[in-house]
Amino acid sequence: MNDFYNNEYMPKMNRIGKLTGYLGVVASFLPAIVLAVVYGLTPNLGALPTVAISVVSSFAVLWFVEPISYYPVVGQIGTYMAFLSGNISNMRVPCASMAQVAAEVEPGSEEGSVIATLGMATSVVINIAVLSVGVIGGSKVLSMLPQAVTEALNLLLPALFGALLMQFGIKQKSHAIMILILGILIWLGLNAGVFSFLPGASNYLATLVCIFTSIVIMLVKSNKKSA
Amino acid sequence: MDALQIANSLPMWIACGLAVGLVVVQAAVFAKNAWSAGKKMGITEKQMKSAVKSSAITSIGPSIVILSGMLSLLISVGGPMAWMRLSLIGSVMFESIAAGIGTSSVGVQLGADALTPEALTMAVWAMILGSIGWVVFATFSADKMEKVQEKVAGGNPAKLMSIATAAIIGAFSAMSAQHITKLNKNSIACILGAVIMGALITLGEKKNIKWLKEWNLTISILAALVITVLI
Repeated sequence: MNDFYNNEYMPKMNRIGKLTGYLGVVASFLPAIVLAVVYGLTPNLGALPTVAISVVSSFAVLWFVEPISYYPVVGQIGTYMAFLSGNISNMRVPCASMAQVAAEVEPGSEEGSVIATLGMATSVVINIAVLSVGVIGGSKVLSMLPQAVTEALNLLLPALFGALLMQFGIKQKSHAIMILILGILIWLGLNAGVFSFLPGASNYLATLVCIFTSIVIMLVKSNKKSA
Repeated sequence: MDALQIANSLPMWIACGLAVGLVVVQAAVFAKNAWSAGKKMGITEKQMKSAVKSSAITSIGPSIVILSGMLSLLISVGGPMAWMRLSLIGSVMFESIAAGIGTSSVGVQLGADALTPEALTMAVWAMILGSIGWVVFATFSADKMEKVQEKVAGGNPAKLMSIATAAIIGAFSAMSAQHITKLNKNSIACILGAVIMGALITLGEKKNIKWLKEWNLTISILAALVITVLI
């Protein structure tokens, strides 16, 4: 059983992940190619370096920090999926986690990885289905919504995050409260501009620090227990 | 041709459709393999079905939030690009920033000035250049990070599990902290979501109510939303 997971399943999934990931990079350029080939619209070469520099200075730190931060959360296959489809914190992580809760498997186990893959795939399909309906329905859909609903929509993610923190923190209350307080302190600092010397949008700082501090503390605790 | 006509033209739909199709294909291939692997590993069909169902329920809310983000992008860069960018690598937070960087490089303010074909082209390039970094690095490094993590855990499955659980708590702590420190309705919604969830989990376990386990997240979110809107 273990051999099947490590010797057959993971190498195969890894190959699929690499192939589809790099294909995704190529596919990203399709609209730019259409603009150039069909409409003769090539990028303004004088402005392109400015754009590249602005984009790199805004996002490049995130290109590295986010995959590293979320790796212990989503695992190897989850990394391929989450970063090809995007919307990681607001969609992939919550769905993969809730799938594991529903199937009663442990995050970080082999079963957990399989279940998280199923959960993430489901969320990708639903996400794209909703967007596809929305893009066809267009802005009419949103203008039809009453104001209370749009207001409530803005509150959906905070409520989701709070509920999920409780879901996973309830078994380790003191640990979760400690990490939450750490997160609050970092965000107070971010809001006050304490970390504005950091490159890019420094919002990644809280996620990075909270995830790795949480892991280190947990590992130290479990080492003490086993020693 | 005017910029938005180009942005919403059939060739653009086809180009973006192929890209979105790739994401769906990846998800389907991964899911199919995971399903058959799960069976071989002794995960029951019931477990897998409940995982899919629970993920589907959890997906709906955030999908609608992403949709409302797409609609503002749709007005500025057209349907196909908005649809593609939020289905492939994109993040609802960054796409408008990237599009704005592109258009402003040729002197067009996104949302304020009329979009020119030149500005559209620059917006498309900025969104592409801004997004591919994530997938390039993630795709390149996923298997390498696996090795790092295994070294840290020393091949101990129990340690791998506590790393993952600790990471999840860290991630949701950071996200909750972001909203709590806003000191507005977001903070109330976040705290209410947590409190109601805690009450439902405790209730479900004490009285052993199975269905509550499946629905407690949805109930917590909806209740938190309604209460926050009403105050």
